[in-house]
Amino acid sequence: MTQAFDASTPPFDRLDARQVETLRAALDIGYYRPGETLIAQNAQSESLFIVLKGTVEERDRDELIALLGPGDAFDSRAIVQGESGHAFVARDECLCWLAPKVVILDLIKRSPRFASFFYLDISRKLDALEREAEDQRVGSLMRARLAEVFTHPAQFIDAGESIEAAGRQMQDCNSNTLFVRDTGRVGVITGMNLAKGVILRRLPLETPVRELAHFDVVRLRPDDFVFEALLLMTKHNKRRVALHDGERYVGIVEDIDLLSFIAGATQIVAGRIDRATSLDELGAAAAEINAQVRVLRRQGLKVQVIAEIVSDLNRRLLARLFELVAPASIREAGCLIVMGSEGRGEQTIRTDQDNGLILSRPVDEADLTQFRAAFSGALEQFGFPPCPGRVMVSNPFWSRPLADFVEDFRRWLTLPDEDTQLNIAIFIDAEAVAGDAALLEQAKKALIGGMRGEQATLARFAKAVDAFETPIGLFNQLITAEGKGDALDLKRGGIFPIVHGARALALEKGVTETGTTARLAKLGRLGMLRPEFVSELVDAFQFLMTLRLDSQLAQAAGGSGALVRPAELSTMERDLLRDAFRVVKQFREIVRRHFNLGMF
Amino acid sequence: MGLWRAAKRLFHQATIGDQRYRFLFQPGPADEVVAIDCETTGLDVARDDIITIAAVKIRGDRILASERFQAILRPDARMEAEAIKVHHVFEREVEEKGRLIYKVLPELLHFIGARPLVGYYLDFDIAMLDKYVLPFIGIELPNRRIEVSSLYDERKYGDAPPGTTVDLSFNAILKDLGIPRLAQHDALNDALMTAMMYVALRDLKARGVRIPRPRSRPSVQPGGA
Repeated sequence: MTQAFDASTPPFDRLDARQVETLRAALDIGYYRPGETLIAQNAQSESLFIVLKGTVEERDRDELIALLGPGDAFDSRAIVQGESGHAFVARDECLCWLAPKVVILDLIKRSPRFASFFYLDISRKLDALEREAEDQRVGSLMRARLAEVFTHPAQFIDAGESIEAAGRQMQDCNSNTLFVRDTGRVGVITGMNLAKGVILRRLPLETPVRELAHFDVVRLRPDDFVFEALLLMTKHNKRRVALHDGERYVGIVEDIDLLSFIAGATQIVAGRIDRATSLDELGAAAAEINAQVRVLRRQGLKVQVIAEIVSDLNRRLLARLFELVAPASIREAGCLIVMGSEGRGEQTIRTDQDNGLILSRPVDEADLTQFRAAFSGALEQFGFPPCPGRVMVSNPFWSRPLADFVEDFRRWLTLPDEDTQLNIAIFIDAEAVAGDAALLEQAKKALIGGMRGEQATLARFAKAVDAFETPIGLFNQLITAEGKGDALDLKRGGIFPIVHGARALALEKGVTETGTTARLAKLGRLGMLRPEFVSELVDAFQFLMTLRLDSQLAQAAGGSGALVRPAELSTMERDLLRDAFRVVKQFREIVRRHFNLGMF
Repeated sequence: MGLWRAAKRLFHQATIGDQRYRFLFQPGPADEVVAIDCETTGLDVARDDIITIAAVKIRGDRILASERFQAILRPDARMEAEAIKVHHVFEREVEEKGRLIYKVLPELLHFIGARPLVGYYLDFDIAMLDKYVLPFIGIELPNRRIEVSSLYDERKYGDAPPGTTVDLSFNAILKDLGIPRLAQHDALNDALMTAMMYVALRDLKARGVRIPRPRSRPSVQPGGA
């Protein structure tokens, strides 16, 4: 039968040969003149349309939602729910394959992989996409469960037993770690703990192990993911994680077990950062952070997890650098902060350094001058590009006493311009990295306090969500110029509106979280946003971040990395991108209405 | 319809040998046509044979690819008038690789019925078919013919000044109408592409839209840019 219909593009590539044959035999072709409606808004449709030639507009009343080109299929909503959410109108002369609804519904029933394309919510589509990608990926070991990793079986010792007894038991069971049973609690003791106790503290061998065990056990369940263990180890600087099945401890996973299981070495990098005693050593460790991003992504980690790991490493690095170069006067009086995406924990590939220093009191000017140059200079050498807006410790504006900051906030709020709005935005996202975190808390309290309840000020701040339009116009060029056209700016058109909208709403509600996902979750709990919408928005955000990271990795040689060419995406990804932009649009509308931005 | 063809149609209506095919002269279903394409061993109507026949119904703006007609013929089974009379002899010899045309013709004739036929250089396809249809039912195909290259010629060159280079090739039509070339070159895909050309050209005509022609002479480019 005819090979005319190309079944090699998603979602049809998931059908087996016989299913493809069934589909092909049922296809008709429809011709539509410019302006003709293929599916009316909220109407039924007897067919799934697959564009063969031309461009179809997806419309929500007067608003253009997306442009669909050859290979794009619509409307899954009309097929699955029986009613289209949007209208579909031919933009020029169009030819479409028409797949009868009954045939598609039957294929959905028979092929779960095919069915995933028709899921209505982004997260299920995303999961399906992840699964697809994972199938093709060789090193997806990070998504393995801990139960699959080699673990040491749990061995117990009573807290009253001696150091000597513990040593013998370790020898006997060939393990370096024992669980310590004490009244009402369980701890862990390692061979190294024993050795340190005896050699460094000169404890007698009869000493009960209770004295040496630590009871702040980091634990996970055997069915948790490997990456969670890695994350915990990196965060708590632990070398082992206990496995607990809900009732009892069942084993121990050591970092070396995990590392032999995966190729990545974030835990090793973290250790190197902490142990660095010179700028050279620290620089070498810093160079490894970027390489880790690629490894982690290749292993199929979600972008949010990668961002958490990378943020943690970066903060660790900054903290260590602070210890190395800051004179005592500044270490005692200062709080080192990271701002912007670094503060939100959303930076993966280094784009720039946004950092600052809050001092509790004026310090020796010579000390400060010397520190500013040394700190920012070292970071630049480590490969952190200087911030174009000079939001860096080296800029005296961003490294000064708390009182000076607070005084400036008043000016930011009373004389708002583009710069001060930007300053507010990045400062709200700040997190303390080293020194006295209370200083940042006080500063934020002053800034947020100055804005809360000030509707006009808040609205002016929120207004930036409208700064960039959702880039649908570019879609068109891409469809008509197929690959040669412009690229989509994910950051401006998708990521920024989400980040800023969440920031503005969080600011108004006094939400102190800095991460966008955490802010949205909190706003959902506060009843500001519907919980279902929050999860859609978070999914959209994660998807856009993933696309952005992948494109950044692809063009590692340079470029902004925020640009993505839809022609290079799969049908499934383009479909998700449309969904994501639709959600961004809705969110923008919510923010606009909430702050009454129509007034400005 | 040319005068000659009209006269012929009338003649055939009167002289049809097999009365069971009188439906070819009834009015067909409104707004339905059939796009047809044959693949042949060559371009000589007298000597060459049909290898495959494909036909697709078009109802309004919808190409009913799901109700297509498709047949692969035995390339060596030349259909001669003599052979038809003794077709019961051949009947047993039908092989998997292809069917005999006299088995295929009744299905094809019922499929197209009285609908107008659409094709690209359709006269050739019909001449090939008539070679077998005439001895089979005693008449030639009476269906009205719609030639897509003529529709295209009218839309593109209808108002062209004399001396314009005219290109009516299949590829030129596909390109101007933006119709994708379907992967495999066979009768069915050719019929489908022809059908797409037809619905597109018919609509352009209905809306009075012309196909733009490139300038006949290169425009003067000052500065030699």
